[in-house]
Amino acid sequence: MTSKKKKILGIVCERSVDLKKHIKNNRLADKDNVAIVELTCSGMIQPIMIEEAFKQGAEGVFVMGCQIGDCHFREGNKWCQERLLGQRPPNIKKAVDKNKVRGYWLAKCDYKKFLNKLNDFEKDLEK
Amino acid sequence: MYKQTLDKLQELTIDVEKGLNKVFSQQYNPFYYHGAVPNLFMWILFLTGLLLFAYFQPTLDSAYISVNYLSTKIPFGNVVRGLHRYAADAMMIAVLIHAIRVYFTDRYRKYRWIAWYSGIALLVCMLVIGITGYMLVWDERSYMIVLMMSDALKQIPLIGVPLAKLFINGEVITHYTMAMSFFLHVGISFFLLFLLWLHYLRISRPVTDVPLGLGLLLFSSIMIPAAMIPVLSGKPAVITQTPHEFPVDWFYLWVFPLFSSMPAMMVWTILFIAIAVSLAMPYLVIDREKSPATVVLDNCVGCTLCAKDCPYEAIYMVPRTDHPKYKQLAIVIDSRCAECGLCVGACAFKAIDLPQTSSKDILGKIGDVLKEPVGV
Repeated sequence: MTSKKKKILGIVCERSVDLKKHIKNNRLADKDNVAIVELTCSGMIQPIMIEEAFKQGAEGVFVMGCQIGDCHFREGNKWCQERLLGQRPPNIKKAVDKNKVRGYWLAKCDYKKFLNKLNDFEKDLEK
Repeated sequence: MYKQTLDKLQELTIDVEKGLNKVFSQQYNPFYYHGAVPNLFMWILFLTGLLLFAYFQPTLDSAYISVNYLSTKIPFGNVVRGLHRYAADAMMIAVLIHAIRVYFTDRYRKYRWIAWYSGIALLVCMLVIGITGYMLVWDERSYMIVLMMSDALKQIPLIGVPLAKLFINGEVITHYTMAMSFFLHVGISFFLLFLLWLHYLRISRPVTDVPLGLGLLLFSSIMIPAAMIPVLSGKPAVITQTPHEFPVDWFYLWVFPLFSSMPAMMVWTILFIAIAVSLAMPYLVIDREKSPATVVLDNCVGCTLCAKDCPYEAIYMVPRTDHPKYKQLAIVIDSRCAECGLCVGACAFKAIDLPQTSSKDILGKIGDVLKEPVGV
């Protein structure tokens, strides 16, 4: 293994940034340290999913949903955002280092913006 | 093919939205309040309508005079009249954007059918309100509208003649015609509220208000024209003289140019087909079979979190007696379920899940994905 890059897992809403073209073997083609799991809506993300990711060896987790205000199911990304901020039950366990969790709220065509944010996240994790 | 076009249209909407985000910022983007914007204009219409109501006299002799009186003699009367007119146009634009956006982003069918159908009814009612509103001024245009409309109504077989009679309230145009159009204008406006209730059914926490900043911006967008360009009546209607042309408000009076350019029956048929097509639209796309969320009886503790988070009022809490400790149980109303999984995200007890993509599958997938070595 030459790669020392941090292992990152993304739990991603299938209606936000269109990753279908960019995924190979459940990993981002441009960044093979980033694994992706897609689901129906970011509102479906349970705190245990984030906890499970860290348990399974992820060093950083990001959650991605559509732009706030534009959830296909009306309120999913809002609920998810509030959960990440600890304002809505069920809460994420305190054992989880919140510095290693990110939430991105981007539209279908925002792939470039998404990559930039991901790079920033990697830099933050290196610190 | 149809589906691909829809996808393209959705991408187009997102692009437009992104542009607007740069101008308005995400918080004030009117696209994210496309349902609340028409609502704002509707309340402006109710308020200004109430003020106009104070001076308006619904008879053939005094309608024209009273409208002129209120717009020239009453302080700011002209502004209120202008607001009423421009808000109506703005509301139609906002409603059309709302409908088009909902259609482009595929948010009009399945569990949203009530909103789509009541929306069509709302649009038809808006047109009737608009047309009858233009009759109240009783200038030449109003007279033309009454003549053309009653002629066109008479062309409909069977119900046409009684309908026309109802419309002008008798055999010929009298004071009662004005009373009828006033009743239709105001009465159907209040009927809008009932339809709006239907429109909001099954939507938890509908967004009905825009943020203050956006509201002020939208208000000024009709306030400025109302103050700068006063709305004026045409020449007063004279029953013995039939006018030949009138300025058309393209948002509400577009049927009249159609009536004058083709047989009335053809216009009615086109309108009928248009409504029928829009009613059929939700069923033109075939979906996979429904698999609504299911509750695991043993795990549910009755915490109500899923019922609170459901965006479509599909989850209800019912009392339960089979458990010594927990007094409530969540149940899912299958027909309302959107299969979005928001309830799964809200549940900390693994008590509610989607059969198609269960949280267990996702947890498993998270493990699998992370186990794969990096750099393969």
